[in-house]
Amino acid sequence: MALLDRSRWYDIARSTNWTPSYVAESELFPPDQSDPYGIPTAEWETFDEPYKVSYREYVNVQREKDAGAYSVKAALMRSQYYENADPAYLSLLKMHYGAIALSEYAACQSDARMTRFSKAPSMRNMATFGMLDELRHGQIQLYFPHQLVTLDRQFDWAHEAHHTRNWATLAGRHALDDVMMTRDAMTTSLMLNFAFETGLTNVQMIGLSADAANMGDFTFANLITSIQSDEARHAQIGTPVIEIMIRNGKKAEAQQAIDVAFWRIWRVFALLTGIPMDYWFPLEKRDRSFKEYMHEFVITQFERQLLDVGLQRPWYWEQFLDDIETHHHCQQAGIWSWRNTVWWNPTGGLGPDERDWLEQKYPGWNATHGKYWDVIIDNLRNGRPEKTEAVGMPAICNMCQIPISNKGGTQWKARIYQREHEGRRYNFCTPVCRWVFDTEPKRYKDWNTIVDRLYNGEINPPTAENILRYMGSGVVSEGGRDAHGYDWVKGYDRPGTEAAE
Amino acid sequence: MASVALLSRLQFDAHTRVIDVDAKFTMDQVAAACAAPAVGYQTTHPDPSKPLRVRRTTDDDSGIALPRAMTVAAAGFTHFECVDVYVE
Repeated sequence: MALLDRSRWYDIARSTNWTPSYVAESELFPPDQSDPYGIPTAEWETFDEPYKVSYREYVNVQREKDAGAYSVKAALMRSQYYENADPAYLSLLKMHYGAIALSEYAACQSDARMTRFSKAPSMRNMATFGMLDELRHGQIQLYFPHQLVTLDRQFDWAHEAHHTRNWATLAGRHALDDVMMTRDAMTTSLMLNFAFETGLTNVQMIGLSADAANMGDFTFANLITSIQSDEARHAQIGTPVIEIMIRNGKKAEAQQAIDVAFWRIWRVFALLTGIPMDYWFPLEKRDRSFKEYMHEFVITQFERQLLDVGLQRPWYWEQFLDDIETHHHCQQAGIWSWRNTVWWNPTGGLGPDERDWLEQKYPGWNATHGKYWDVIIDNLRNGRPEKTEAVGMPAICNMCQIPISNKGGTQWKARIYQREHEGRRYNFCTPVCRWVFDTEPKRYKDWNTIVDRLYNGEINPPTAENILRYMGSGVVSEGGRDAHGYDWVKGYDRPGTEAAE
Repeated sequence: MASVALLSRLQFDAHTRVIDVDAKFTMDQVAAACAAPAVGYQTTHPDPSKPLRVRRTTDDDSGIALPRAMTVAAAGFTHFECVDVYVE
């Protein structure tokens, strides 16, 4: 059957605004769900999506994407790849699926809010496809790890993580609830589509897919590529919203939303991406450091996109650049030391050659982060593995929910930034997390970190065993252990290595 | 005996830590409690020839060490107060 060219009917099909007669417009589009900025509806009707697609085209393309991803998986199932994969690489998959799979369902709800409550018809149209995208991403990222549960029970966290109170889950959920789940449609598009997807995940997935292919995992590489192609489309929802807000005198509000969301997601993103890139992939598989990746694919591109739409770099840009040098190194150390609290098996992965690589990529690494590992390596080489398992609790940030850490060794950078609010003392890892709290204390003040829950009686009795049980460790699966059984320490037996001398 | 949860910054440690201390602890005991989960685990003593001292954390690190025999109760520490543990 002959079809009209899309360009001949598209403008009519997306003109779906009408004048409500049974309810007031404020009831049809409640400001707290729709547009708290008070921008006239006629302005929203100028929203012009940069990526146009019809439903028929969307379904055809998505069907092909799904067929491709599932057929690659089916074809490679017999290869025994996962049975023989490096345990540290499997940890990346466990961490990824646990953190991401159900987050996609959350993103689906966010897009659903835009689909229902956006005043811009074209935005509603794009968000409908975005909603279907995220539904697909949730399903496919639950289906793929499901087959691996029989291989290793830790893969069960793909489905379970978001239903637990594991500290890492709380960190991810707190950030995602903030930027995706609890905002009006317009702010969500700034925070999710522009700051999160355009700024970080869209390009992150390109790197992740390439790394998976380097490791020979073409099933996962293909899966991520398939998802990324959707992200690249619906991430563009945010840009026209920014343009409309700036045109209507809401530049400061748009800037703040971007600044909050970019930082919030960055703090989690650095753990998911930076740690595997710089510590878990074998040296011969690394083509760049996390820092190089961030500068090449995120900083340059995101900064240009911000300036292109008329915004500026976030006010904390210098702190952000410093965080790229620091944050994931500290958390690799902390997660490894508190490894029984997570659902994957992190590797220390720090033989002499790996240290040389880190020193080259991050000058000064040995004198700061390296000092931490000197103690651990000394304990392992002298028969004290029990001394490598952390005792006690780290202080946790009341915003990002991540342990408050910084460079140690020859420097003393770890510092807690506090805020007293309504008689309660809040602790933050950086001035930026404290600033986020200050933007809207009412939004954040009632949330409790794992440490808060110890002291308010929610974790009772507050024993080490009960804390682990509370977090799901030993319940969903056993907690983490060193992925390589400390084999990486054997490199120091080689004469001439720094730690051997 | 009443205890207080302090947030400890041990010199050269990468982590900050939550440390329960008793109201009757002296500052030397506070320092030992703060060092216990860190030194030998993930960091070393900043200078073993010198005693660890305790001061309230300030933005510019200008705080003065509290007397070694002073108790937690006398110092008036409150829940989640930050302290530096360091050598002079």
